[in-house]
Amino acid sequence: MLIKTIFRTVLLFVIVIGTSYQARSQEKLTLNGYIRDASNGEELIGVTAYVTELKGGSASNHYGFYSITLDKGTYNVVYSYVGYKNLTKTIELNSNMSLNIELQPDVTELTDVIITAEKEDVNIEDIKMSSQSIDVNQVKLLPALFGEADIIKNVQMQPGVISAGEGTSGYFVRGGTSDQNLILIDEAPIYDPSHLFGLFSVFNADVIKDSELIKGGIPAQYGGRLSSILDVRTKDGNNKKLEGSAGIGLLSSRVMLEGPIKKDASSFIFSARRSYVDVLTAGATDGNKVYFYDLNGKINWRKNNNNRFFIAGYFGRDVQKFGDDGSFGWGNGTATFRWNHLFNDRLFSNTSLIYSNFDYNLEITDPTQGLNWSAGIRQAMFKEDFTYYLNPSNEISFGYHGSYRKFKPGKIAPNSDNSIFETTILENYQALDHALYIGNEMRVSDNLTLQYGLRYSIFQNVGASTIYEYEDPQDNINKTRVDSTEYGNFETIKVFHNLQPRFSARYKLDATTSLKASYNRMVQNVHLLSNSVVSLPFNTWWPSSPYIGPQLSDQVALGYFKNLNDNAYEFSSEVYYKKLNNLAVFADNANVFFNMDLPVEIRKGKSDSYGLELYLKKNKGNLRGFVSYTLSKTEMDISGVNNNIQFPASHDRRHNLSIVGTYVVNDKWTLGSNFVYNTGRAFTLPVGKYEMDGYNLDYFTGRNQYRLPDYHRLDLSATLNSRKNKDRKWKSSWTFAVYNTYNRKNPFTIYTRTKQDKDGNILGDGTEKEARLIYLFPVLPSITYNVKF
Amino acid sequence: MKKVIIIVFSIFFFACEEGIILDVNQVESKVVIEGLITNRPGQQYIKIGKTADFYSSGTNPAVSSAQVSVSDDLGNTYTFSESTEKPGLYLPSAAFTGQVGRIYNLDIDIDGEKYTASEELLGVANIDSLTYGLNEEEFSDPEDEGRFYNVFVYTKEPQDEDNFYLFKFYRNEEWLNDNGEDITVTDDVAIGEAIEGLELPEYHSVGDSVSMEMYSLTQKEFIYWSDVANLIFSDGGVFSPLPANPRSNISGGALGIFQVSAVSSSYVLIEE
Repeated sequence: MLIKTIFRTVLLFVIVIGTSYQARSQEKLTLNGYIRDASNGEELIGVTAYVTELKGGSASNHYGFYSITLDKGTYNVVYSYVGYKNLTKTIELNSNMSLNIELQPDVTELTDVIITAEKEDVNIEDIKMSSQSIDVNQVKLLPALFGEADIIKNVQMQPGVISAGEGTSGYFVRGGTSDQNLILIDEAPIYDPSHLFGLFSVFNADVIKDSELIKGGIPAQYGGRLSSILDVRTKDGNNKKLEGSAGIGLLSSRVMLEGPIKKDASSFIFSARRSYVDVLTAGATDGNKVYFYDLNGKINWRKNNNNRFFIAGYFGRDVQKFGDDGSFGWGNGTATFRWNHLFNDRLFSNTSLIYSNFDYNLEITDPTQGLNWSAGIRQAMFKEDFTYYLNPSNEISFGYHGSYRKFKPGKIAPNSDNSIFETTILENYQALDHALYIGNEMRVSDNLTLQYGLRYSIFQNVGASTIYEYEDPQDNINKTRVDSTEYGNFETIKVFHNLQPRFSARYKLDATTSLKASYNRMVQNVHLLSNSVVSLPFNTWWPSSPYIGPQLSDQVALGYFKNLNDNAYEFSSEVYYKKLNNLAVFADNANVFFNMDLPVEIRKGKSDSYGLELYLKKNKGNLRGFVSYTLSKTEMDISGVNNNIQFPASHDRRHNLSIVGTYVVNDKWTLGSNFVYNTGRAFTLPVGKYEMDGYNLDYFTGRNQYRLPDYHRLDLSATLNSRKNKDRKWKSSWTFAVYNTYNRKNPFTIYTRTKQDKDGNILGDGTEKEARLIYLFPVLPSITYNVKF
Repeated sequence: MKKVIIIVFSIFFFACEEGIILDVNQVESKVVIEGLITNRPGQQYIKIGKTADFYSSGTNPAVSSAQVSVSDDLGNTYTFSESTEKPGLYLPSAAFTGQVGRIYNLDIDIDGEKYTASEELLGVANIDSLTYGLNEEEFSDPEDEGRFYNVFVYTKEPQDEDNFYLFKFYRNEEWLNDNGEDITVTDDVAIGEAIEGLELPEYHSVGDSVSMEMYSLTQKEFIYWSDVANLIFSDGGVFSPLPANPRSNISGGALGIFQVSAVSSSYVLIEE
């Protein structure tokens, strides 16, 4: 009821502004439309429509839509986007006008590999800061582990981002933990982006159109996680002609097909990827099978300029079979239905229905210890987003996001007659989540733009669940339940209200220089129950509940942005300070493995992080790429952990440097390279040892007081385009890559054991210990064959 | 967990490991107490020592001349005195055995520093029987020459109470704990009543005498041993929890455990 009232009020507010504005100035007219790629009909995101007479304009949104409100008159509008030819239209605006634009790809640049980048001067003009766009076309040319192009690995090299470790898909943004990153595919959340325990991510580079990592200055339409948003949008499918591509790599093969259903009106895209590690390993490890697959599909229908529909889906799964002993699997499935609708020339709406599911299962086949273990989280979501192009100076966004989640932390069931196990289910939880937001991007003057907004979130933890009260909720040794309350289905257990202000400002010093500042508060009501550095797929999620309150983050950031050499180079420097409050962290020694009394293991705390990020990107010419350097510090302060003493977070790494580049040698060869350097992970090491009933145990005095050795690695790649490509439809290329070129033994982790030789025979009297360092990848060559047709 | 992770990565043939010398800070050593009271004669002892440098050899440096006593909730007090052969090992001055249902209190005084603990001796189910059978797969390709027999246990898990267990397995009296890298400790969550033919670890050969001990644990004792298990299985904290000292049931700031258990055991001789 409350929500409905607020929603109506907001709507009313907007309508009032809108109508009063219209009443005052009848002469205002609107120019709007969609901007597309002329070669395949893909909508282009972030294209500038610059009105010369106005010295300003607008940019196309996530759906390729733009709208400019102008006085009656004649204008020259320049549509521009890097990688495309500029298009100038002279427009006589006598009435509201719809003008769809098709931009021609700029293929005069070497080879037909089009490196899309941002529009000109975007980093100066745009109010956005602390945001990195991941160029998927460049990612495809860069060396990758086993030749598998992966945008997450590129995300891990961006400024302000720290990789959770080699061969993982986890990353930490500006001092946040990895569960604080919201990962979206076509607006649907992905709860675990990893394949093969993180060696690869769920994102198949073939279908990705646009991906952006937002670390700060987060606008009001985003919410739900504390630290970042990775917004990945897939291609709509070519609506001009049937096209496809396929790739064969060492580890996986993939195929993608796209084309029109009805030319210029509807299109489809479908892709599949399947690994064959099981083929590679089958001979060596008898009966063991390891594989994953991904399916992406999308159907896109433009009914008319005012109504557009999409249905997009993703389904992926990992399967690991351990001979006859059992299997382990996990996967995500998402579905998005979207309807873009133009209510009138200036009110654009996006309605989405979204579904996301993540689950894992472990099966042990054994006559007496046989069991099936399953757990997961499911989410259904409704989103209504509006953009109101009030006038050239104000662009208002508002909307409502509602979702339902079901959390299934775990279920064990016996799968053999003589199994010692009995069916046991950990308490399930349900939650309803509502968010209302409103924001405005306001051009105050030619130099100053402000963006301000407010997001109001209401999170309801609802039954059916039983909530226990503990004698001492912090005592994880004498776990004593003193009371319990049962809640019926959808009966409210606890409600959390949070207001999240957002603010950004951009001040242009001159045409190529600007200063930006931002503040944002974020709230997180879903909590990943993990107590390791790298989260495993068998970690589970929990809602905010009487046991855990919402986690909060406040971040301020300042930035200096400069473009050099006519946009050939863009430079930015940002400083940030982020404070996380009410963090839910596990106590030392917490048992998170099928624990019926998990609430007593949870501790609350805060974290402080601050840093400096430097970023230089080269957008033009044969050599392109970026250099990113981050200096940062993150400390945590958790009551009941590490004797209440502040300690460095595991993802506290002082220096972090990435150099990424591609070089087009000629129309045959393109070279690529990554170099990464970072300070070693903060690490807990023993300071002594002792014997206890035959066990040699390590003795610890503090958490994360040591550092692993520094991490650094160089990867190289070369892509060979067939000379014959020019004259034929079938275009092929080979990518040769070397991972960890100089074979650095980068430490993955250190563990200790009783001193022994390499055959496992104990050395000495069995009381001596030794430390062992595990490193994952030596120098690894790979080869991939790609075709486009 | 360490094993699982190493297996997962080894599947790709790429994970490698090598020795590394830790640059370990010198810290003050800490008192380590290992105490056991059971319902079996001759098993009662308290060991007191100290932590040692990581790279040292030998058992814990002994703490001698401590005052050690155990009392129960009926007012009986049993004093312990230090063994003359093994410094740091304290044995009851007059032999006694623990009784199911009694609460035992530990009192230690080391130069004025007091350490105390208190635990109830909980009952434990009987092991109905151990049986054995030839494992065909192992028979055709034994890892250790001649060892291809599995041993199975039959018992009941009482469903009307929360139980915690520690298991020890022996082959010809030799404790099988994989050089201190394996431990079997469990609660009874998700475990049903009938335990029929549960396979014990390791394979055995004809003529081996295989035995098993089942110790009852209190919740606090279970927490201690499951923390020890986490530490033993830790891969250094990437996929497993950050390592920490196991939560002791002894107050006063010592490491270790005062374990009060009932024990049931069974054995089987493997014949052709």
